[in-house]
Amino acid sequence: MSITVELTYDLAKLLGTRHLELEGAATVGDALRLTRAHFAEQQADFDRLTRVTALAVNGVLINHRNLWATPLAPGDRVSFLKAAAGG
Amino acid sequence: MIKGYANRILEVDLAARTFSFQPLDEEIARLYIGGKGYGTRLLYDTTKPGIDALGPENPLIFATGPLNGSLAPQSNRFAVVCKSPLTGGIGNAACGGSFALGLKKAGLDVLVIRNQSPAPLRLEVDGDAGTVAFLDATELWGQGTAATQEALGKSGYHAVIGPAGENQVLYAGIVSQERIAGRTGVGAVMGSKRLKAITVKGTAKLEMEDEEKFKAYTKWLRQHFRAHPMLGEKLRRYGTMGIVNTTNGRNILPTHNFRFGHHPDAMQLSGEYLEDNGLVGVKSSCIHCPVACGRDVMVDGARVKGPEYETVALLGTNLDIVDIKQVSEWNQLADDLGMDTISLGVTLGFAMELQELGMLETDLAFGKPEGISAMIRDIAFRRGLGDDLAQGVKRLSEKYGGWSFAMHVKGLELSAYDPRGSYAQGVEYATTNRGGCHVQGASMYMESTGPLTINPQSLRLKAELPVVQQNLACALNAMVLCMFSTYGIIPAFVHRMDPNSLLYRVVVGAFERSGPMYRWLLGLKVRPLLWFEQWLTYITGQTFTSGHLQEIGARIFNLERMYNLREGLTGQDDSLPPRMLHEPTFKHLHSGVPLDSLLPRYYQIRGWDAQGVPLPRTLKKLQVRV
Repeated sequence: MSITVELTYDLAKLLGTRHLELEGAATVGDALRLTRAHFAEQQADFDRLTRVTALAVNGVLINHRNLWATPLAPGDRVSFLKAAAGG
Repeated sequence: MIKGYANRILEVDLAARTFSFQPLDEEIARLYIGGKGYGTRLLYDTTKPGIDALGPENPLIFATGPLNGSLAPQSNRFAVVCKSPLTGGIGNAACGGSFALGLKKAGLDVLVIRNQSPAPLRLEVDGDAGTVAFLDATELWGQGTAATQEALGKSGYHAVIGPAGENQVLYAGIVSQERIAGRTGVGAVMGSKRLKAITVKGTAKLEMEDEEKFKAYTKWLRQHFRAHPMLGEKLRRYGTMGIVNTTNGRNILPTHNFRFGHHPDAMQLSGEYLEDNGLVGVKSSCIHCPVACGRDVMVDGARVKGPEYETVALLGTNLDIVDIKQVSEWNQLADDLGMDTISLGVTLGFAMELQELGMLETDLAFGKPEGISAMIRDIAFRRGLGDDLAQGVKRLSEKYGGWSFAMHVKGLELSAYDPRGSYAQGVEYATTNRGGCHVQGASMYMESTGPLTINPQSLRLKAELPVVQQNLACALNAMVLCMFSTYGIIPAFVHRMDPNSLLYRVVVGAFERSGPMYRWLLGLKVRPLLWFEQWLTYITGQTFTSGHLQEIGARIFNLERMYNLREGLTGQDDSLPPRMLHEPTFKHLHSGVPLDSLLPRYYQIRGWDAQGVPLPRTLKKLQVRV
């Protein structure tokens, strides 16, 4: 099963890619763990940059109690999001 | 005499070439503050129903508020009010730049332009001398907004139109410096009067009730804004384009004429990308604003005014184009021709989809930048197909079909937040009196993009939030203050909370369930708390609280509503394009905005009947005279 992880700008810059294609992520918790693993030596930076980052699956923010257990389906897109304002 | 006001209105008749100074109506100022509120009251009272928006009977009203001319950050805006040629209902737009300051220096709260001139004309108002000069503008006619302002020189403050306004493009705007009163076609109304430019000058000084307290408070507040995570950090660093990656991740970034809410390469249009790639030239601000969200962009070594978020979304991803240099060029061209880039981008996207479906013969196509610059010029000068596109998507769909994907509400093209991923914003679009606009409430900040985001796709708070936000926006547009000021309301500690933490979820859950309590709290008239309440209180000497502003905002909103009803709009117009109601954006998870479930609640909260008409008791309670 393949899902896409869409990184914030800062994370993308750190890793040198905007998206990650992940295999074997059945839940949001899995996706987060596998994404973190991609950062290898930079996991402290990953933790810092995701400290105030929300997560969305297919654009829908997940902020319910069982956040990490949220199931994923093939082709889903998990996005790291920062609060922002436009106009 | 009320403090904070010049206590003077100027009425100009372009046909008779006469003018008169009138005293400010203190009763209107008390009930509607100024700006959009005062302007709407004047429009309602001094025009007959059913007038031609591009005819001589439609006045063009420039209005300031008590904060203009002070040192309050983000208070350099003026409002323009008239009947909209685009929607047939209430027309208004607000603009930064320097013209608001100029009006106040000229000792004017409101400038009303009536009738039409037979030949191109410009006005020069000397507030100190109490004179108005009617000057020939034949040589300026056809000039862009930059060249026009340059020709007018540095003496005085200018508001001008470009060729789009002259040729009555229905989404033409009025420009002050590099800012534009873009929405609802106010520039077309100025063009219909053959009024190319207005210059105001004078040395009047704003009188305040308690200037010392105002200054001390404002000094402190500037520091607060600079330290605020949204105003002082994100907006200041990345400008409004800093939101691109967030709206993209939330599926609310218009893409391919709003067919989708996500573009895989949107990052190339983000504020972060701009900064990292050395594309940002100078960061610029409106007068007295510590945020400085504007920025110039370097295009091939030259400095041009950078686009805002709305522009990069609607002239960018909405057209399947992610070349920031290209979008910046179109942005500059549209500003110089004097037209609204929101309506322009949506109209071009609609034309591209018509072309894609074989319903319109044109070289315009998604993902293809070639031909767009030429089409923008054709729109401004009403040449060929440009003449059709100059009338916006509603009229375009009436001629060529495609109404289900014509992205407008009440004739005004939608802004760059797809409401399928932001239900409260959908209700706001549907009900806002001037049509599909985001800055008449900005509910999306509270539900989709800001630091305290409720679930945007549940029904909780989705009728209450637009009411509260629209009321607040009406009050701010009466002061006249930038909407960005409200981005500072959510305190810094919330911005620093982990959105995945239990505490955050508890806070958001409580907010989502607050409903009537939320409205009740904001309706309290205890004491001034937020900065705009404090400023108004220090300047005018009258006490303004959250409750006062909600009441005044509701009054303005209901008067606008009564104007729309008078002009033939009905509750049927409180809707969204069918694409927004029925089509999914991604993986069938977004099945459309459930407007049928939300509108009745919204009407009930507003005190309107089932058809969306304000009840007599609502109008009486709010002191809305009709």
